[in-house]
Order: sequence, then structure tokens, then C-alpha cells
Amino acid sequence: MTNLEKLKDLVIDVFLIDPAEFRLDLRRDQVDTWDSLGVVSLAVGVQETFGYHFTQEEALSVQSVNDVIAILSRHGIGFDAA
Amino acid sequence: MGVLPVLPVLIEDSTMSLHGLEEHWNGEETFAYLPEKSPVPRDWVAGALESLPEALRTGCFCLLTSGSTGSPRIVVGSKGRAERLAAVLHQAQQSEPVAETIVTLPLSYCYAFVNQWLWARMSGRRLVMTHGLSRPDALLASLRGAGDAMLCLVGPQVPLLIGMAGEEAFPGVVRIHFAGGRFPQERIPRLRAMFPNARIFNNYGCAEAMPRLTLRPAEAGGEASDIGLPIPGVQLKTGEAGEILFRSEYRGVALVDSEGCRPIPDDEWIASGDLGREDAGGHWHVLGRPGEVFKRYGEKVAIPQVLATVNQHWTGQSSSYRDRDSAGEDGFALVLCPVPPEETVRSILQALRALHPRTHWPLRIESRDALPLLPNGKVDGGALKDLDGKLLHWRQRI
Repeated sequence: MTNLEKLKDLVIDVFLIDPAEFRLDLRRDQVDTWDSLGVVSLAVGVQETFGYHFTQEEALSVQSVNDVIAILSRHGIGFDAA
Repeated sequence: MGVLPVLPVLIEDSTMSLHGLEEHWNGEETFAYLPEKSPVPRDWVAGALESLPEALRTGCFCLLTSGSTGSPRIVVGSKGRAERLAAVLHQAQQSEPVAETIVTLPLSYCYAFVNQWLWARMSGRRLVMTHGLSRPDALLASLRGAGDAMLCLVGPQVPLLIGMAGEEAFPGVVRIHFAGGRFPQERIPRLRAMFPNARIFNNYGCAEAMPRLTLRPAEAGGEASDIGLPIPGVQLKTGEAGEILFRSEYRGVALVDSEGCRPIPDDEWIASGDLGREDAGGHWHVLGRPGEVFKRYGEKVAIPQVLATVNQHWTGQSSSYRDRDSAGEDGFALVLCPVPPEETVRSILQALRALHPRTHWPLRIESRDALPLLPNGKVDGGALKDLDGKLLHWRQRI
């Protein structure tokens, strides 16, 4: 499974979105379940899945799936399709 | 003062002989009627009965409460009050057309004891004993042979009953009563297909009420939480914490627990053990046990409301237990039985997303091949948390 596929599964699972809703440019303001608890859940999920722990600043700065990819990429976690 | 005589203890007979019960009901002496299988030690019961004052040693009967709290308690009822309640129920439940009642629960369970055994005895109706869902073939035979019969069930029995009976219909059942837990509102259409001639009632009460407080015909409301109107002789109100309090002409006369025997004064308001509210139409609604209503991240969560959503998408059994998340906040785990297909879990999650904020979502969705049940048919909350045999389908990562 690629990192992108892992991230897709995580986002679907954390926000309970339909797989068809998933897009790289999916933004927080487009997902009703991307609330403050969702931010925390996503951060925990990222740590569990990719082994990287968001700083509080990073967690709060995430506004889209692309933002997650950007942060992880900066820490050496590659997303070939991104 | 002389030594008080030892009061008789009857054990529910697996051969279903009711001779001893009838004899003791007719007698003067107070007696206890206990389930055949019970985690409560017999010597604890004997000690509890010893603590009864002389005034309660005649004209009464003693039943154990479910024990789901883990603390044994005996409720002492008055035979006269229970007989009056059975007569009131006959009218309120419109039971005149009923010719027999099929017993699927232990008779030592207060609900079956009063609603079925005592009612049948007083009204001259036939009592049809079965071994309940533990012997499905025998129960099916009783349902097929039913003639204007009344059934008394608890909610967790319904998925098992549906699974057992398949598409078969039982036109000889004319009344179905539910008590002892959440009313299976979502299953009413299925139950109507299975029992096409039955009126279905939601009964509410507790052992201390011995046992009935309210009644609602299924068609008189649309929510599982709606327990209807108080029966004649019962008053309800809510306490400061939103708990349902009652006064009843039929309630138990004393409680015996590890602290000893405590007579219940006539004017005392007694907690039913649930939180509730009265709506504008006078119907009462059960919001859940105090443990089922809690705050999570500042938001009120009522587990029964979440289960109502789950049951729109799940035809099996569902239950829950309380737990905390990694931040120490209160939450609960949802337990489904039997193991659901993953697409069903997904549809449940979608429904939770659509209808509930994240704070209402369970911490986990688990499943088991079978829910652990107490002898009275209720889910054994203590055993539900055990890890053995559980599958994890989904979890909140918090």
C-alpha cells in the first residue's frame, strides 16, 4: 500500500467521509466532521500510520489533505502521487 | 423477643413446576422466590431474610433485583399490592381478550412474575411455561400453538426471536409486552409482520415499583425513549439531577441490601434508576441510566439515542459499555452481535456522521458472536468489556 493510499484510508476513517469524497485538495471547511476533535484524531492517526507526531502548530495549521502531505514530505515521508 | 422463624426460600424450578409457588402465595408467611441460577450466594439471601422485621414476615414476597449493578438487593413486595397491580394492568393493558400467556423469561424476574404468573393466576388465564430462547424449538411450538396469547419480552430477545423464526408469522399472539430495558421501536414493523394480530406495548418500571410504572401502546409514539403515561395509582416526577422519581400504590414495601432492611415509607419518592423527562403531551421519556447519559468534551451524550441511530442500520443486537478516551474523557464502546459485514459497519458510521456530532460517536465499534446475557435476558454489562472473543471494526483515534 502506498503512503497516499494509507493517507486516504486514514482520512476516510477519521472523518467518516465517503471514499468518493476524498481528494488531495479536500479542505477542512468542506468536511463537517473535520472539527477540533477531528484535528486531534487526524494527528493521532498520522502518528500511528506514518510514525510522525505533528507539533501543535502543525496540527492546527492543517487546512487540507495537501497540507498533511506537505508536512509529512518535509519530514522525509514521500508521496509519489502528490 | 423470641427467635424469628426462618422464612422459606423457593428456587425457580427448572422442571417448571409451579406448585410450591402457588402454595406459598396462598400461605400467610412471607417467602422469597429466587432464580435457579444466580451469582448471589444463598447464604446472603438467608441473612437478608433474617433481617426482615416481624411486620414484613407475613403477607409479603421477596424477589432479587437483576444484579446487573453487581450489588445484590432484595425487594420486598406486598402480596395485596401486587394483586391490585395485576388487576390494574389487566384493565390498562386491555388484556380481556387474552386467553393465555407464554412465559419466555424467568418467573423469578419481577416483570414476568407480576405481568404473567400473578396476572394469569388472578384472571384465570392459562400460563404456558417455556424455556424461552434456550430451547427455540419448544418456544416455536408454543408460538405456533398460541391461542389469543400474550408474550412478555425484553428488547435483547427480539433479534434472536427474528433469527429463530425467520419469515414465519404467529397469528395466535395478540399481545406483546416489552419491559426491562430499551423498547425495540425500530423492530416494530418486523414484529408486526411476525405477529400480525398482536398489539405491542412498551412497559416501564423497576423492581422497586414491583414492577410497573407506565405503559405505552407502540402506536402511541414513535421513539424508543417514549414510555407513555403513568398507570393509574402511579405518580412520576423528576428530581434535581433529572432522575425519574415515582410514588406508587403498588411499590415494594422494603429493600434489603448489604446495609440491612429498609422499609419504604408510603410518601417517599423513589428513584427508578433512569434519567427522564415529561413531554408536553404528558408522555414520559427515558433518557437512559445515569451511566448512559454523560458529558463528553462538554456535550451531553445519551447512549440510547445513539443506539437508536445504530439500530436503523443494524438488525442484530447492539449494546454498549462505558470507557474513556486517551485524554481521559468519558465515552462508550458500541458492541454489535453477531459479527457484522464491514459494509454494515460503514453504513452505521455514515449514519452516525449524518445525525450525530463526533462527541456522540462511540470510541470503538466492536462485535461478538454472542452477547453475554444475564438470566433475565438483559445484557451482562460487566462481561461485555471482556476482551475474549471481541473483534474491533472501528475506533476513534483519540
